[in-house]
Amino acid sequence: MLSKIKSYGLMGMEGFPVMVEVYVSNGLPSYDTVGLPDAAVRESRERVRAAIRNSGLEFPAKRVTVNLAPADLRKEGSMYDLPIAIGLLAATEQIQNDALAQECLFLGELALDGTVRSVSGVLPMVIGAYAQGVRKVVVPLENAKEASLIAGVRVYAAETLKRVVDFLNGAEPLPVVPTCKWDRTKVSYPMDFADIKGQQGAKRAAEIAVAGGHNLLLVGTPGSGKTMLARSIPSILPELTFEEALEITKIHSIAGTLAGSEGMVSERPFRAPHHSASTASLIGGGQRAMPGEISLAHYGVLFLDEFPEFRKDALEALRQPMEDGSVTIARAAVRSTYPADFMLVAAMNPCPCGNYGSRTAPCRCTQQQIARYLGRISGPLLDRIDLHVEMSEVGYDDIASRQAGEPSETVRARVNAARQIQAERYREEGILFNAQLTSRMAMQYCTLDARAEALLRKAFATLKLSARAYTRVLKVARTIADLEGSRIICAHHVGEAVQYRSLESKYWGEIRR
Amino acid sequence: MKLEYSERERDLLWLGFVLGPGAKRYEKVLSAFEGDAHAAYEAARRHDFSPACGLKDESLERIYASANERFLNGCFKRLQALDISAATIESPEYPNLLKEIYDPPPVLYYRGALRSEPALPIAVVGSRAPTEYGRKLAHTLTQTLAENGACIVSGLAYGIDCIAALGALAVGENPYPTVAVLGCGADLVYPAGNRDIYERIIARGAVVSEFLPGTKARPAFFPMRNRIISGLSRGVVVVEAAEKSGTLITVDCALEQGRDVFAFPGRITDLKSAGTNALLHDGQAKFTLGAEDVLEEYGGMRTAPTPISPSANALPPEQSAILRLLLEGERSFDELCELTGFSVPLLNSSLTEMEFSGIIKQSPGRVYSSI
Repeated sequence: MLSKIKSYGLMGMEGFPVMVEVYVSNGLPSYDTVGLPDAAVRESRERVRAAIRNSGLEFPAKRVTVNLAPADLRKEGSMYDLPIAIGLLAATEQIQNDALAQECLFLGELALDGTVRSVSGVLPMVIGAYAQGVRKVVVPLENAKEASLIAGVRVYAAETLKRVVDFLNGAEPLPVVPTCKWDRTKVSYPMDFADIKGQQGAKRAAEIAVAGGHNLLLVGTPGSGKTMLARSIPSILPELTFEEALEITKIHSIAGTLAGSEGMVSERPFRAPHHSASTASLIGGGQRAMPGEISLAHYGVLFLDEFPEFRKDALEALRQPMEDGSVTIARAAVRSTYPADFMLVAAMNPCPCGNYGSRTAPCRCTQQQIARYLGRISGPLLDRIDLHVEMSEVGYDDIASRQAGEPSETVRARVNAARQIQAERYREEGILFNAQLTSRMAMQYCTLDARAEALLRKAFATLKLSARAYTRVLKVARTIADLEGSRIICAHHVGEAVQYRSLESKYWGEIRR
Repeated sequence: MKLEYSERERDLLWLGFVLGPGAKRYEKVLSAFEGDAHAAYEAARRHDFSPACGLKDESLERIYASANERFLNGCFKRLQALDISAATIESPEYPNLLKEIYDPPPVLYYRGALRSEPALPIAVVGSRAPTEYGRKLAHTLTQTLAENGACIVSGLAYGIDCIAALGALAVGENPYPTVAVLGCGADLVYPAGNRDIYERIIARGAVVSEFLPGTKARPAFFPMRNRIISGLSRGVVVVEAAEKSGTLITVDCALEQGRDVFAFPGRITDLKSAGTNALLHDGQAKFTLGAEDVLEEYGGMRTAPTPISPSANALPPEQSAILRLLLEGERSFDELCELTGFSVPLLNSSLTEMEFSGIIKQSPGRVYSSI
């Protein structure tokens, strides 16, 4: 009359084993769920009851107690439907092969007709369970591909409750999903660098930003192609490694944004939240401390269009994750740490009406309006964006330009080469690219020749650079030198790097009169 | 700051304090008392203003209530606290040129030093959001004028006004380089972002207003201020003005007051030059190419003109190629990229070097121009 079925729970990225205990005893018919269940778990009673009846099985008219152990951790989500149903059937001896039922891990939501529905977070749960010694899992058909990424786990795809029961009773085997090989040949990006006409300067800035892992700020009049450039950036990012892809998939699995049949994420994420986004949706949060946009953009691009229109508190909250590459969300009940190692690409107009500095359309903003608009981006935040670049207006000639731009493939080859150099240089520092250099490391690794030194000193005085901005210029110059394969930073590297800082003094330094 | 006021001045100022800005009302009241401000003061004490003053009852009540020494002393104390001086039209420091106009302000409040006869006062006016072309013109113009002893009169607004004041202040040897006329009380800075320039003007020139201290700027005040700008000056130079620009109000005032108007030509397709081009086209302004044309009108240059553009030959080949393009007109980064055929890294580093050598300038929109 007592059964125990294995399942799994999640808390942020990490999981914990959950034992679903079902006890059926004589007494007045009742049904209780204990073990800190949330609303979705408590409601499972109705789904389980209907699913069992509609699968042609018997729901006992007895006293049923369901316990989710350990009892002191909150259980959330609908994935306990299936293990509870199996436990109930085992406790009422409608399942004969107890040994098999106890060996497997069950995850899945039940529909009233007994169909097994997909749940979120399957990949991290299976990874966690594998580490705990589980070798057989029964997961919803739609999540099977995702679960099958883990070699060494037998993944059974459950379509309906009835078929799972038949499988456990030995009547009919469940299909075993073969271990999914990670396939990155099919990666195709919707945008290619070759599609962008003109904008040589901005494209070059994007290349440098990607090569050194720097954040990028695009400023330009409406229609100058900021969004298009940003969208094409994933196509020049270095290829994903298996470990990176796995981590991305884990986060997306938890957030439930994984496309059903995809299995593993194969391309770098590009997230473009609307500027009305709340702090919690950007950073992560909510009652269950779910990952936010910055975590969903992990190892990819977080694109914030209309940068100054974002809520100020939301923008300021970006600062710490940008520095740490991860974010810890603490709520009363849970505390989760999610990785958030993203490349920030921000785009903005130069003024509220967008035409400041345009040669074709008049700007209707007063200086105060412009100052207020620019003032929404705080200095510390601006300081964390290494490259600032202005997009030129695109004329008809550019759009109709005969010559095609460079394809992303070529750019990515250069990026990969530069990243290689950086990875080798920083092997002992435990960092991967130039943007991660601390100011101490920058002094050590950014060796300037005499002319570069002189130029930088001049830039420091002329542009009134802050000490922080100075380090940023140095890092960008390092990346430019790496792209060229030069060990030493020369004057022309510094010269180019300075161009990507000049915006600051132009717009923010002195609000122009 | 002025601390001593004569009896006559005190009477005239009292009338100014109670009546506020505006020449007409002041004139009317004063003429009702046959020019005797003290008589007006005494009449107010007796609550006995003649209907010839044409004042409303509530104004009269306020005036009567203010007709006492306590009020007057309070006013002076306040001026002193704010470091503001006041000049009546009869005061010795009141600018003589301003007296000539149709409706001179009866009282001028000022900070700094007001001069009745500044050497060659020239107003420089123009757009609040000028193009790089306008900035360049305004700066060289005011600097050359100030070097030749002129006093630049402007309105302390953003854009050309600021550039004009700064250009004049840049000339260290000019003892009285600039005067700013405000559309608010002389103790206030509008727009507030110009406080630093305001302070620098006070130190060497004057900030002037006809409005009572503490008066906040209002749209209606700016045309009133503009008549003082042109009234204080012998000539008005328009640097850049759009077709419907507030600058043109100053021009109208100047023409009414019989002042010379100068305008710089601009490209006929430039919106920001439409106003100046129209002035030139209609013959309302003198065609001006630089400070020399203005100075010629008032006795010529004292300093030799400065050479204009650097020679392109002394530079490295890629820099001189860029400079040659920019001397024809401003260019965006992408245009330069296409026209020169240079790679982006080369272009970027050349532009940086040129910017640091002070040959070229970058402005919003990533547009480069030669200096």
